[in-house]
Formats: sequence, structure tokens, C-alpha cells
Amino acid sequence: MNKHKSIYKNALLVVFMLLYAQSLFAQKVVRYDLYVKDTLVNYAGKEKRAIAVNGQIPMPTLTFTEGDTAEIVVYNRLKENTSLHWHGLFLPNKEDGVPLLTQQPIAPGTTYTYRFPIIQNGTHWYHSHSGLQEQIGMYGNFIMKKRETDQTFRKGIDDLPTVPIILSEWTNLNPNNINRMLHNANDWTAIKKGATQSYAEAIREGQFATKLKNEWKRMLAMDVSDVYYDKILMNGSHQTDLKTVDGKTLKAGDKVRLRISNGGASSYFWLTYAGGKITVVASDGNDVEPVEVDRLIIAVSETYDVVVTIPQEGLSYEFLATTEDRTQSASYFIGNGTKQLIAPLPRLKYFEGMQMMNDMMKMNGDLDDMGMKMSLNQMDMNVVMYPEITGETEKRKAQNAKEMESDPDRYNPNVLGDIKTLNYAMLKSPNITTLPKDAPVKEIKFTLTGNMNRYVWSMDNKVLAETDKIPVKKGEILRITIYNNSMMRHPMHLHGFDFRIINPNGEKSPLKNVMDIMPMETNTIEFLASEEGDWFFHCHILYHMMAGMNRVFAVGDYQNPNLPNKAKAYKMLQAESNMPHFMVQNDFATNGNDGEAMLQNARWSVGTEWRLGYSNMHGYEVETHVGRYIGKMQWLMPFIGFDYRYRKMGMDEHETNLFGQKNEKDSRRALSIGLMYTLPMLINFQSEIYHDGIVRLSLMREDIPVSKRLRAGFMVNTDLEYMADLRYILNKNMGIRSHYDSDMGFGIGIAMSY
Amino acid sequence: MVITVLLSSTISFAQIKNTTTASVKINGNCEMCKAAIEKAGNVKKLVVINWNENTKFASITYDSKQSNLEEILKRVALAGYDNEQFRAPDDAYAKLPECCQYERVQKTIAKAELKTQLQDHSSHKATAEKQENSPLKAVFESYFAMKDALVKSDGTTTSVTAKSLLNIIASIKMQTLTTNEHTTWMKVAKDLSFDAEHISDTKDPGHQRDHFMSLSKNMYELIKVSKQETPVYYQHCPMYNDGKGANWLSKENAVKNPYYGSKMLTCGSVVETIGHK
Repeated sequence: MNKHKSIYKNALLVVFMLLYAQSLFAQKVVRYDLYVKDTLVNYAGKEKRAIAVNGQIPMPTLTFTEGDTAEIVVYNRLKENTSLHWHGLFLPNKEDGVPLLTQQPIAPGTTYTYRFPIIQNGTHWYHSHSGLQEQIGMYGNFIMKKRETDQTFRKGIDDLPTVPIILSEWTNLNPNNINRMLHNANDWTAIKKGATQSYAEAIREGQFATKLKNEWKRMLAMDVSDVYYDKILMNGSHQTDLKTVDGKTLKAGDKVRLRISNGGASSYFWLTYAGGKITVVASDGNDVEPVEVDRLIIAVSETYDVVVTIPQEGLSYEFLATTEDRTQSASYFIGNGTKQLIAPLPRLKYFEGMQMMNDMMKMNGDLDDMGMKMSLNQMDMNVVMYPEITGETEKRKAQNAKEMESDPDRYNPNVLGDIKTLNYAMLKSPNITTLPKDAPVKEIKFTLTGNMNRYVWSMDNKVLAETDKIPVKKGEILRITIYNNSMMRHPMHLHGFDFRIINPNGEKSPLKNVMDIMPMETNTIEFLASEEGDWFFHCHILYHMMAGMNRVFAVGDYQNPNLPNKAKAYKMLQAESNMPHFMVQNDFATNGNDGEAMLQNARWSVGTEWRLGYSNMHGYEVETHVGRYIGKMQWLMPFIGFDYRYRKMGMDEHETNLFGQKNEKDSRRALSIGLMYTLPMLINFQSEIYHDGIVRLSLMREDIPVSKRLRAGFMVNTDLEYMADLRYILNKNMGIRSHYDSDMGFGIGIAMSY
Repeated sequence: MVITVLLSSTISFAQIKNTTTASVKINGNCEMCKAAIEKAGNVKKLVVINWNENTKFASITYDSKQSNLEEILKRVALAGYDNEQFRAPDDAYAKLPECCQYERVQKTIAKAELKTQLQDHSSHKATAEKQENSPLKAVFESYFAMKDALVKSDGTTTSVTAKSLLNIIASIKMQTLTTNEHTTWMKVAKDLSFDAEHISDTKDPGHQRDHFMSLSKNMYELIKVSKQETPVYYQHCPMYNDGKGANWLSKENAVKNPYYGSKMLTCGSVVETIGHK
């Protein structure tokens, strides 16, 4: 009896102890239910499809405290697959949310649960990693608070009133269509932005030679971003009044901490504040020593925590996010009273930029940094285009050109201007961030490559579909040196880890998970590969990622319960990242139909061209080519072809080409092999030999930008055929075209393209 | 006359659909302001503004489906005109022609002033510190603002800053100065006013720079005897004044040449660092 009693007592004690332990370690599970559904929105004058989660765009802000366990249940009510990636989070690889790499896609109508412990704090965000869903609404704030007992808790910063803000862009175009237009070098975007940089505009600005040299170097009009957006949003609104935080009315002298994530698919944003300086206190969820600046640029997918002060009573101050191309912006008005505006950023000086590109671009398409060692965003070549730094456009001053060239600071915005712009060299971690000294180091070098004309973006000139996973041993330090040899800047993002960006702050180099790298910059990052799994490393510009600018680090030999057949899943992922895109155009003209259709991916092209007259005399002609683009710049394409044509010729009539070769048949079927090469001035040179020995050489140039909307083109070949055309662009799919063709004569018509 | 105005206004309104009309106060002075306000706000077939110089009220007629009042007033403010909803950016206001620089309802508090104001709220110690600051500080601050404007070859802003320098010089009470400051002040005050007045009278950076040269020289005499919180750099451009050279003062070590602006921005060198004593 006694014995029983003591067991009972002991058991009770154990139960009590267990209960106590549980409350001590605060195993708090925070659960969110997310219902993903199609919706219609009207952000910019037209009703368009979008994706809403729990009925809202952006997706709900998810808030946790370090030490919690997150349980997030996704209900896919779409008609397509989806997924959610937790951007910047440390978690087991199977929870990372990359379909076909860490999990199976979440199929329509199904439910999927993510569950992982929260082992860090800071400003992060989350988004879909499936297709282009991120562009149409699937992004949201993901905030992890510091515990108040945390040793790194900063009084005066971590206890300020805080507002999470996610930036995004909206376009009335279907993102799949944008992707296709980018690959087909459709310049409708440039027309919308007023950035065509045509010959007429060049002449008006006295920059004809600049434009000529630009085309000689085989470049299309340059721009700082590729997509035109109709509206910019901060937390889903174009303009927001922030009068209170947590129920407290804001007044003069108050400081507010904004946790800003850039959830835009392809836009960098300038952040400026009407109430004075911006104090940067964290980036990508990691604290940095506070640094005061006048403005900063936030790269796609980066996060910054900034503190702003309300200087004066009776005014509310504009916090402005402007796209890098300066065509659009969104604002937050912080405080109470009349809205104090900040001057918008002036328009870019495109021809100055073009001149700068001309100077940097070598004839072979490589970039030449002219001896400047560029890194960490300190030198910004784009300053030549910023009127607020380098002044409004004036007539060229030749006498200073020489002096300018020898100035080592000629691209340093903080020396040239009297405003201070944030760069990565100014970020300093409050703590020592060095990695274990005894860990083995694996060095990797990447050259970022790409070509604007065909919109192929890659690393070491290889897209994901052309590379295997990169094996990494668990516990190794990965030190990656990246050189950007492409014409665009790229926000490179690593899943699952923070890396150190090695900067002049040495052992206090900052921790981040996104690094923006500008053309010609070389930066080094390093991290300890301490967590097993397949981790994605990619450019976070959505359309660059979809073009294949990705790699996978396979750390250790990770068995992922979600993916029993990892090899097969990877093959599917590779295929998805190199999908062929289609284009077709046809001119319905008075003298016949002229057109072409093409199916292309990163390397291959299948294309067919036709010229269909309205009578046998004019004839019918179809040429089909299957080719593969060679080299980084993809100027060379060998192909095999098949031609068919029918043309009723008179009795003794026959055609003789430049080489004296004759063709006497009315109808002709011919196989060919040939080469296409892009010459300076963007002229396509094509040489082709047919199975019957007939040779044909041709020169062609399409889409010469005469003025903002006027395009010219020509073709001549050794069959003594020629053509010249002029096209006036009406909208992205339609134009009025007139042309003269040696076979079919003069014609005028409507040119449609898709 | 009235009839024609009415007629023409009905004609222009007639093109607008879904019309709504609002009456809004917009600050401004003159005929020129009227033109600028209406130009900034009007959109063909969507918005027509009619601003009254005497009442300062604008009647705004707009298509309520395709435009809204907020959008319109924002454009007007960005052109430099404060209104009920928006206050213009300070630089947009500064760029207005002189006759258009209306009296602003809400003054912009200068940064230095603001800091002390906020400190005043928080503690009395700050006020004590403030008194230690030389009254000449405001003189130097407006000099630096003028220099920055000249670096940008911005004649309008230079002229505005010169005017404020002139006012500050007039407001200096000599009894608050230290003995050394007092002596130098007696020597240079007249010349400072003379140059500042000439700079404020023109918007041509070339003429302003002539006076800026002697202004800088006197300013240098003054700053040398005055207590500085942060170092000030005395810098030299060897080319200006037909190769005889000219000097200026700057708060930054890096050279930004006010005599040539962007033409020769980083030409020059530091000849003396005036430390905090």
C-alpha cells in the first residue's frame, strides 16, 4: 500500500516536471492557414487575373517570435500547381518550398503543411516558387521578432514602433506574355517607357554617333530594367497613410522602423524620405550598425530595416519607392497632417548610359572595366544617367573629357553628388561573423553571363538545364567569387543560408542572403554549408531565373522524404527552366502575306518564314530552319533547312543568281545547310547551300529604330531578290507596314505579331 | 468679355465626361503662378483647373472616373505650390520664380534648428549646449548651403541662400560674440553683406562666383577665430580668376569645386584644415 503510494507520488512529480519543462522551452506552435485562390483585381484600369491568399494581396503577414514552431497549411484552390518558399529562412531542406527540388509541387485541390522551428529573427518574406505566380500576387511579409531577453536586443531600435512593408509591381499584361516578349526582343516596353532611343531621338540630342557605335557593337537600346509596370504597390496599395502604429498616434519626434522587403518580380526600387535621412539598421534580416543615408536602392528580393523620424508637427512625410527606371512609384505618408512630398527622381539620361555602355563593351561582347576594380555597389556606372548626381544634360564638354577619364571617382555617387547613397561597403555587422578557421574551404568562381538580344541569362554561359548539381561536403566552407560579365545587374540569392559579403569591415563583414552585383563587379561571398540538402542559388529577377540563371548546391547526401526519385525530379526542374517560347508574325498586305513563326529555347531555334502571294505569278515560298545558337553572345547559328516554293514562270523564263546558277523549275523543294551570323549593326548574314548545289547568301536587318514608333528593315540576297520595309508600331501586337519586294512588288498592310 | 470666358470654359468642360467640380485652396501669388498651377494640373479631356489669383482658390473640374482630386493636387504640389492636401518639396518651391515665392503657411524648420528644438523637448542640458554654440554658426551654415548650390551651378538657389545669409548677418547681436569673434566681425561684416547682397541680386552663377571669391576670403577670417564642432576645410582652385586661383570653405575633405561646378568638379586641393578648438 505504502509502496503504491510512493510510485503514485513519483509519477505525479514527473508529470509536474514535464509540464514545467514545456513551459520553460516555450514550444509554442504558431499556425497559419493559407487559402490560395484565383481572383480578379483592378490595379491599373483593367480587370485582370491575380492570385490572392486568404482573399488578399499581398499574402497575409506571418509573424513569429524566435523559438516558435511554424505550422503553415496551404490549401491550393487554384487550377494549377503552387508552392511557397520562405525567403531567407534557415530550415530543413524539405521545407524550403522549391517544387521539384525540395518537394513535389502542391497539386490543385490538395493541402500541404509546412512545419519548421523558427531559429532566427529578422525581416524576411515568402513567395511562390512556381512559374510566374510571384508576379501576380503571391508574395507576403514574414517577420520573426527577437525575444526581448535576446543579448543582441538593441534598445532604441528593436523596441521602436514597427511596420512591415512589402514592395511589388503590377502589370496589366499576362506575365507569361511578358516572358515571351522579352525573349523575342519586342520593344513595346521601351515605347511605353519612352526609352526607345531611336535614331531620331539620338539626332535630336546630338548623339547620332553614339547610337551608331552602339549598333555597331551589336547592342539593342539599353535600359536599367526590362519590364514596364502599370502600378507600384506597397503592401498592395499605391498610396498609404500611416497615421498610427499599434494604436498610437504618430507625432513630431517619433521614430518608426520600416521592415521593407522587395517582393517585386523584376524591379529594383530607390527608397527616399521627405523627412530627411534614412537610418539603415538591418539587411536581409541581419542587424547592421546603424548607418545614415539619403537614399538606398533595394534589389529584387532584398530586405532592409530602416528607421525614419517625423521632423515636424502638422505634416506627414512621404516615404517614396521609385522603380530604378523612374517611370513609376508608390508612397507611404508617415505622420499626421498635410502631405509633405519629396521631389520625384528625374528622368534617366539614356544616351549618356548608351555612351557608357559603348565605352565598356568590347567588340567580342565582353565587358572592359578599364582598370577599375569594381565591387560592392560602390561605383555605379549608372550615375552618368542620374541628373541629380551628374547634372542635367548639357552639350558635351570635350575639354573635360580627358580629365574625367583619369578621375578614379568618376562613377562614385557619394563623391560626385552631395547626397549619400548606401552601398555594401557601408554595411557592418555588430558582431564578428567569421567562419570556423578549421573548416575546409571549397572555392568556386562564377561568371555571370547573358545576352540581351535573345534574353538568355546564365552562369559560366550555362543554363540550369546544362549543368548538374554542385556537390558540397557538409561542414565545408563555400567561398564563391562572382564576376558579372553581363550588361544587367543581378540580385543573386542563396536558399537556406546567410552568407558573408566580404567587405572592408573584415571580421564584421555583413551577413546577407541576397547580393546585388552590378555589371563588371567582382564580389566574394562565403558561408558554412552546415545544413544538408539541395539548395537553390539563383538570380532573383523572375524572368532571369526562368531563363535558367540558376545553380543547385547539393550539401551532403540528403534523403528527402518528399522526393523519392531526386534524379528524375531534377530532370523535370531543368526542363521547366528552359521552356521553348513561341512567336509568330504575319503581314496581311495588298501584295501577299509575309510572315514567320519561331519556337526557341536557350540554344535551339526552329523557325519558318513564308511569303505567300495572291497569284501563281507571285508564287508561294516557305523556308524552314532548325538551328543551334553558338557562343555566349549567340551571334552564330548553324542550321539545316528545307525550302519549298512554287512560282509559275513563263516559257523560257528562268532565274539566275549572282553566281550564274540557274533555277528553271516552277516548283522547287530543297534541303540546305547554312550559317547565320549577326554582323555589327545587327545585320544578319546568312549563307546557305542547297542539296542541288545552289548557293544563297543574304544580308538582312530588321527593326531599325528610326523614331519612337517607326521601324525600318531590308534584305538583299544573291538570288538578286531584295526587300525594304517600314513599319509603324500601333501597339504590342499590331503595326502598319509598307514594303517593296522584288518578287511581289509594293504592298501595304497590317502587320500582326504574337 | 465675361461671356467669352464663360463660353470658352464651357467648351473645355464639355469634353470632360463624368464631371465633378471641387473648389480647393492652392497657394500662389501672381499671373505666373496661375499659369504654372493650371499647366501642372490640367490634362486634356480629363482635368481643367481655373485658379483665382485673388481668392487663391481653384475650381477644379475633372472626370471622376479617370482621375481624382488627390492625383491632381499632387501634380500641382510637385510643381511647387502648397495646397490643402500636399506640401510641395522644398526644392520645387525654391525653384519657383521670385514673384511666385508665396508665403508658406507651414514653414520648413531648418535642420539645425529642428535638432535643438527636439533636444529642447527632451532635456535642458541640450539647451545649455546650444548656448555654447557660437551665434555665427548660422552664418557659416548658410554659407555652406550657398557653396553647395554653386557646386551645382544652381543660380536660383544660390541667390535664395544669399538672401538668407544677408538676413542672418543683420540679426547677429555683437554682444553675444567672443572678443576674437567680435574684432573680426567688425572687420568683415560690411564686406560680407556687400557680397551677399550682390549674389542675391543675380541668378547668374558666373557673377555670383566673382563675389563668392571675396566672400569666401572674409568667411575664412571669421571661421578661423570661431569655435567649430567639426573640422572645416579651406580649399583651393588654382584655375579660377584667370589662373590666380581662388579659395573656399567646405565641411567635407573631398573637393567639390564651387567655381566650376560639374565642369571640373573634383579639381582643387585642401590647403588648410581648421580644426575644432
